[in-house]
Amino acid sequence: MFARNRSGSDRVLSDMKAKQKRYEALVHAFHADIYRYAYWLVKDKAIAEDIVQETFLRAWRSLDALKDENAAKPWLITILRRENARRFERKQLETVDIDDVSLHDDTQVAEGDVQDRDLHRLLGQLSVEYREPLVLQLIMGFSGEEIAQQLNLNKNTVMTRLFRARNQLKEALSQQNEIRGRHNG
Amino acid sequence: MDELEFRRRIYADPNTTDSDVIEAAKNNEKLRAFWNEQKALDNQLKQVLNVSVPDDLAHKLIWQQSANDLARHKHKTPWYIGLAASVAFVMGVGVMSWVNKPVSLDVHALAHMQYAQTEQAHSPLPVDLAQVNAKLASFGAEFTGMIGDVQVANYCHLNMVRSLHLIMDTPEGKMSVFIVPQRNDVDIPDSFSDTLYRGESMRMQRANVLVVGDKASDLSEVKQLISERMQFSA
Repeated sequence: MFARNRSGSDRVLSDMKAKQKRYEALVHAFHADIYRYAYWLVKDKAIAEDIVQETFLRAWRSLDALKDENAAKPWLITILRRENARRFERKQLETVDIDDVSLHDDTQVAEGDVQDRDLHRLLGQLSVEYREPLVLQLIMGFSGEEIAQQLNLNKNTVMTRLFRARNQLKEALSQQNEIRGRHNG
Repeated sequence: MDELEFRRRIYADPNTTDSDVIEAAKNNEKLRAFWNEQKALDNQLKQVLNVSVPDDLAHKLIWQQSANDLARHKHKTPWYIGLAASVAFVMGVGVMSWVNKPVSLDVHALAHMQYAQTEQAHSPLPVDLAQVNAKLASFGAEFTGMIGDVQVANYCHLNMVRSLHLIMDTPEGKMSVFIVPQRNDVDIPDSFSDTLYRGESMRMQRANVLVVGDKASDLSEVKQLISERMQFSA
């Protein structure tokens, strides 16, 4: 009986509630991975959090555009990458002294045991074009094709970058161990 | 597959299930060792990449969305729409105390809010004298000259009484003018106010005119203009 008497504004309200619920589900499911992705993109915890907030705000505004729940992850990543690009545009407009920006790098002061710390630092030192596909593969669980699609590259390029990323890490790690060995020995 | 190619493939994806890679590893212990080593490094990488996430991030994201929504909603509702609602409210109070039976004021206020909001969206252009007079005609009245910068002119219902609502831009700020037919069952106080707005009414020949503006604004000039320029047909 109540259902039959439901007025237009009730329906609007319940639509809003449904959208709200959907948004909250999206936040719970993806905020952690999206935050980590942002962190490895910008290497700064505070900026990463800012970008994630912007990302989800935009996601909320265009939530109706997300038709397929399976596409949520790439959709959010696309928004996040755009937000990050926007940040650089702003920075350029402000014409700040280059010495003042990007000095802070949370990856270089990571905590944990020695090996994790080393690895964390080395990951931070990788150039972003190598680090980004690696993060997509390891955090997001993307396949080569999915990474290629996300980054708008061809698959061979992606596989080469993944190879180089691990290759560089491996070399840097063994160099580090050598230095350490020499110091200890 | 040579060793270099094998390494390339493993470095690119240590979890590969490509049959040629698996085939190559089958017969070569050295490659298998390399592969295992790489898998171990990958697990370590995963651990390191999984940095800790701020505890309250999820709550923040949900909170900021509702806070932002509220701010946007507030922003979208200019003060004179609130004013229209408050006029509806004031008239509702007036009528209620006169009729002495309960009237659901919130419904009127809300209905009027909705009206005013869609009205804003539909008419971005200022209104000219002919348009105002066309609407005034149903009250048997007309303006002999424009009374100022009228931005919106449309009928609305204040507690079931069909009225003409003009939203004006004046040097004293935005004002609303309501032209209400004279009826025995409508009672309007000479002046009324709430915390934000104040209004005054005039009894004209065949209609009541309400002028409502900001609490601090001077309504006399607009009232003066209206009483000079409003004429009723015989």
